[in-house]
Amino acid sequence: MIRYLKVIFFLFLLNTFSYAQETFPINGVKESFKPVYAFINANIIISSEKEIQNGILLIKDNLIIDVDSNLTVPENAIIYDLKGDYIYPSFIDLYSNYGLQKPNKKSSGFGPQYESKKNGPYSWNEAIHPETHASHEFTHNKKDRKKYLEMGFGSVTTHIQDGIFRGSGCLAILSENMENEDVVLDKAATFYSFKKGVSNQRYPTSLMGSIALIKQTLLDSEWYENTQNQTNISLQEYNLNKELPKIFEVKSHLDYARLFKISDEFEIDFIVKGTGKEFLRIDEIKATKFPIITPINFPEDYDVSIPEEAMNINLQDLKNWETAPFNLRILKENDITFTITATDSKDKKSFFKNLSLAIKSGLSEKDALNALTTIPAKLIGVENILGTLEKGKIANFFICSSNIFSKGTIYENWTSGSRNIITKKINTDIRGYYTFNSTDHKNISVSITGEKNQPKILIEAIDSTNLKSKLEENKLTFYSEKGNFRASGNILTNEINGKYQDSTGAFFDYKMIRDSLFIEKEDEIKKLVIKKIPTIWSPNKSNGLQKELKAKTILFKNATLWTNEDLGIIKSADIAISNGKIVAIGESLDTNQIPNYENLDLQILDVKGKHLTTGIIDEHSHIAISNGVNESSQSVTAEVSISDVINPEDHNIFRQIASGVTCSQLLHGSANPIGGQSALIKLRWGKSAEEMKIQNTDGFIKFALGENVKQSNWGSFNTTRFPQTRMGVEQVFYDAFYRAKDYKKNWEKYNSLSTRQKRETDPPREDLELNTLVEILDGKRHITCHSYVESEINMLMHVADSMEFKINTFTHILEGYKVTEKLKNHGAGASTFADWWAYKFEVNDAIPYNASILNNAGVITAINSDDAEMGRRLNQEAAKAIKYGGTSEEDAWKMVTLNPAKLLRLDNKMGSLKVGKDADIVIWSGNPLSIYSKVEQTYIDGICYFDNKDQQLNQDRDLKEKMRIINKLSRSKSKSKIKHKPKKDILYHCDTIEHDHDHDH
Amino acid sequence: MTMTIKKNFLIAVLLISNITYAQKSAIFMGATAHLGNGEKIKNSVISVKDGKIDLVADLSKIRIDPSAFDTIHKVYGKHIYPGFILTNTKLGLTEIDQVRATHDYREAGQINPNINTQIAYNVQSKIIETVRTNGVLLTQVTPQGGIISGQSSVMYLGGWNWEDATCKSNDGIHLRWPSSYYNTGWWGEPGGREKNKKYYERINTITEFLERSYAYYKSDNNMDLKMESMRGLFSGEKNLYLHANYYNDIIDGIHLCKKLNIKKIVLVGGEDAHKAVAVLKKNKIPVIIKRVHRLPKNQDSHIDEPYKQAKILSENKISFAFSYAGDMEAMGSRNLPFTAGTAVAYGLDYEEAIKALTLSTAKILGIDDKLGSLEKGKEATFFISEGDALDMTTNKIESIFIKGKSVSTNNHQTELYEIYKDR
Repeated sequence: MIRYLKVIFFLFLLNTFSYAQETFPINGVKESFKPVYAFINANIIISSEKEIQNGILLIKDNLIIDVDSNLTVPENAIIYDLKGDYIYPSFIDLYSNYGLQKPNKKSSGFGPQYESKKNGPYSWNEAIHPETHASHEFTHNKKDRKKYLEMGFGSVTTHIQDGIFRGSGCLAILSENMENEDVVLDKAATFYSFKKGVSNQRYPTSLMGSIALIKQTLLDSEWYENTQNQTNISLQEYNLNKELPKIFEVKSHLDYARLFKISDEFEIDFIVKGTGKEFLRIDEIKATKFPIITPINFPEDYDVSIPEEAMNINLQDLKNWETAPFNLRILKENDITFTITATDSKDKKSFFKNLSLAIKSGLSEKDALNALTTIPAKLIGVENILGTLEKGKIANFFICSSNIFSKGTIYENWTSGSRNIITKKINTDIRGYYTFNSTDHKNISVSITGEKNQPKILIEAIDSTNLKSKLEENKLTFYSEKGNFRASGNILTNEINGKYQDSTGAFFDYKMIRDSLFIEKEDEIKKLVIKKIPTIWSPNKSNGLQKELKAKTILFKNATLWTNEDLGIIKSADIAISNGKIVAIGESLDTNQIPNYENLDLQILDVKGKHLTTGIIDEHSHIAISNGVNESSQSVTAEVSISDVINPEDHNIFRQIASGVTCSQLLHGSANPIGGQSALIKLRWGKSAEEMKIQNTDGFIKFALGENVKQSNWGSFNTTRFPQTRMGVEQVFYDAFYRAKDYKKNWEKYNSLSTRQKRETDPPREDLELNTLVEILDGKRHITCHSYVESEINMLMHVADSMEFKINTFTHILEGYKVTEKLKNHGAGASTFADWWAYKFEVNDAIPYNASILNNAGVITAINSDDAEMGRRLNQEAAKAIKYGGTSEEDAWKMVTLNPAKLLRLDNKMGSLKVGKDADIVIWSGNPLSIYSKVEQTYIDGICYFDNKDQQLNQDRDLKEKMRIINKLSRSKSKSKIKHKPKKDILYHCDTIEHDHDHDH
Repeated sequence: MTMTIKKNFLIAVLLISNITYAQKSAIFMGATAHLGNGEKIKNSVISVKDGKIDLVADLSKIRIDPSAFDTIHKVYGKHIYPGFILTNTKLGLTEIDQVRATHDYREAGQINPNINTQIAYNVQSKIIETVRTNGVLLTQVTPQGGIISGQSSVMYLGGWNWEDATCKSNDGIHLRWPSSYYNTGWWGEPGGREKNKKYYERINTITEFLERSYAYYKSDNNMDLKMESMRGLFSGEKNLYLHANYYNDIIDGIHLCKKLNIKKIVLVGGEDAHKAVAVLKKNKIPVIIKRVHRLPKNQDSHIDEPYKQAKILSENKISFAFSYAGDMEAMGSRNLPFTAGTAVAYGLDYEEAIKALTLSTAKILGIDDKLGSLEKGKEATFFISEGDALDMTTNKIESIFIKGKSVSTNNHQTELYEIYKDR
């Protein structure tokens, strides 16, 4: 229906828009005559499907009136004989900010801004402004227009590239008419991103905050349609323009899956402005079915001339450099609809260079043309007026010397039937071999060679090097840099004559006659060798996987098993794994004790002398998170979730598998009393974010207390957010849970209504923050609370008891040893540091004996990392419980395995060596608590993700790959090489505060 | 008034209990002695007289009359080590990371060679107690920041006051070589690592300052505090601690210092030191390595690169010391012995690891005439552990001696433990 309406709309437009000026008074005399232009003898590329050789194109006013190989040219037509030049439909760019001011960040004054400062009844958040319409502010820009025309574009969809809900963009023809004529579609699409842009408001500070804000706004817009009691122009405008195509800018190839979750939940289709690195996650991206607008700003060649510096370039960057030109081809081979945008291209040169590189890398010319013309037209529903050179369409086309995808030079780019000259076409070819005569030079020879547009003139009798020259229509000037010869000449057929001047200033007449023509060497017809797509690893960096790993069936013999069960630590025992599970444990196991072993590829490994344990579980980790661990803006951010922003490509995942960690709780930081939801993952290196998540688990959420949430160490400007004291912290919890209870009641009331009553009643507004808190009240989501001193720990248990929920785990809890009884009575567990203290005032009474005291008192106690480095040594951290407080080896080991499994409610499938549990196991060279022991193998779900004996091979492979690409780069002839920029790892702790998340991956 | 008196009295009692004078002579029998020079004696006898080691021998090879000693320590099956030495640290100059008032490690300005840490060293620091009780008995207290941060001093982890705790004043000047790359962004939002455009400008500043210092050294001048502090570098009395990490920075730094007449250079940090082995060897430059428990330098670095570095240096006969500089530096330095343990797990010989924690470091700091090993004539600054001190499961320090005096093995944390463990 919508499409149909649009078509009508356009037909209407086509009949009228050329008379837009009608409404304007004229200062002067009206020029109303519109001639017919005829382009004859042209190779006309109607579309990728149809080409007319030696054809005629007729245009009048702003429209194509006819095109064919055999047409009658009207008598009064102005004729352009193109003599074999090419005509292409002009390109269309869907992602542009042409003709619009770049928004500036306003100075925010002192202190953080928590509320919107925008006047009027708009969204609560300054990054949400669907009421922005590009057409309201559009005006032509000469410089940018020239840039687009040079690249072959004739129209753009332009929008103000700022904010999360950015408003609408308009479709503009790149002419020089009044905006009323050139804006052919005032609302072509609406635009979105995860970046809050110039908004000074604190929320959102993180990517997960942006995601939550998008979801809440979508919910609110639905709710707003049924409510009468307030005005919100932002929501109103969103609803009004809801049916337009939605274009979403992502900043990472990982964002596709993130966006897909929103798309799936709200049944919204998006067109994605991509990154050009879609090849890194092609299967995942293909599954989203999003059409993609992709830039072609391939990475420039790296400067590898200094060996030490070259080695500092990450293999990841090198591999991306090599594969980027194949991106478009890979998109095509995966049947992904895509268009090309020039928005990230520096200039015309780099645009065409990369376009031709993409074609050399296997993108067909046909697909390239479609991606630049018909596909963008179709995506915004303007295929009936733009995209091809067909009768009735807008006269947007360019004329060029030959195939635009190989060597073609654009001479003219016509927009809305108006001519724009790009490169002056030189028709005369003066090249050849001449005899030169003047009063003081007799019969000397002159050769004119080189390019037709830029001839090289050599007169050896005057100068042994080429003369400088300038060629205009029928005029040639040439001179020697030595200053002894300066000439100008008139070009006739096979003759050039004129005057020259010598160093004394005397003038001489000359004449040169062409004896023979310059014969251009035929370009060696290079066979288009379609290059092979480089292998893409998963992830595409050091230690990436080349093929998918499979679960194994293995019988480990003669190991020392740390069972974490009643069996305790048993020496010289056997354990078998199959199909990702532990299937048998015992002394001298027989193969027939492995179910179905005959049909499985059973491996028997003698691991005599080795210790075999269940995998380490890190209860408190912040690795593998994209763009912000803290939504540090508001005091309550229960709506955000780390599970939306898992980064499966963080190399710390691999480093930790190599250290025996198999499972982690990725926690939100501790910047606010009620933080965000956690993600529980297994460190399945090489898999996607979704695949890393542990299925069918309870939800978790981070709470926090003390100095971090009251912003004690945030500097002197952060003193306005409530709470600033431990007293305020308590009130934040009461307030939140009273709100949650009311909310729950309201929904229960609404849900109990009959269908008819429901129809007559407005539903309560759905609130993501309160939804999460209700989950806590319902016991479906568990709390891990960052805490230090006994007073605050006690306080929160009081709040929880009176509001009828439970604190599942106190994390850090460095003064837990002072409140063991209270913890036990409440039923809370503890996840603590082995020996950290003295980093802030509230940890002055932290003692390394904490874990032992808690454990002895019967509190379920875990030791965690909160740190990417410490996550590699959790076995050592557990061992400290032996030193400090004399915990037994068995109990110490449980602190990093079974106990965190219990705290995360995963102990039914992880945390011990027990038949039926997941085959997450680690083989150690010795006692896992000894500082001298190393991990030899790590299995997750029975898949061997790390094998120390293969590690050298891996490293050799990575080095070989690096050197292969560096060698390739050292042959590069590119002039603008980039110096390498080694990236610093982003490491999060729970008090890492972001002020913005505008960095890319 | 009465309150104050009571409080002072209490403090005095605590201090006295912390450090009690040992009797004139003592004998330690039966422990495995890790001498610090790369050797060990399994069943050792060590005697101490007037604060000095009088005898180190194999108990099974000599006859000895224990009754001749004032105190007899039967330490069979236990381990005795020379006090471990922590280097390049702000321990004693800071108490709580997030409380600025407790920070005394970074002076204003870029060039401060006259800054002297010894007088700000807080020997009563609660952190120091907890580090001492893991076996670290000496520390090189080091100023931070700027281009020339100042001078470090070698201090005991115990004593009545800083003067008493001083082992060696002003052992060297700390030069922070500019990094050819710097990190953009801030700690909460790190950007990329960019090439340092001011690298050469910074090097010029250093060059000019060192040239002037040398000119001052060779002439008779009015007192210039900064220049005066630099003298020792040219006479060879003081070390120049060159803090540099990238390979190119290390090479540039060494070459410049050599050229400008600096006698003794020690590389500090040296994340790429194992790549600069040839230059270090040729110039006989020891290395204070970065904390072993750190992440690999970048994503392509081998996952165990930091763990293996000590072994590579040792194989190449480059003298090195361990340090714990970085995040959680002061409180974390009690884990210094375990970082050495990790290096052992990755191939470093055990006694070489002990040597790096003791004698090698003593040599670097210029205190090996009296410290660093269990040898006759050296100070009785050592500790006894129930088991292997490099492994946390067995590092249990039973007694500590500094200059022959017994030092308490209690600290703020053990006290809290005693109060709360059986509550």
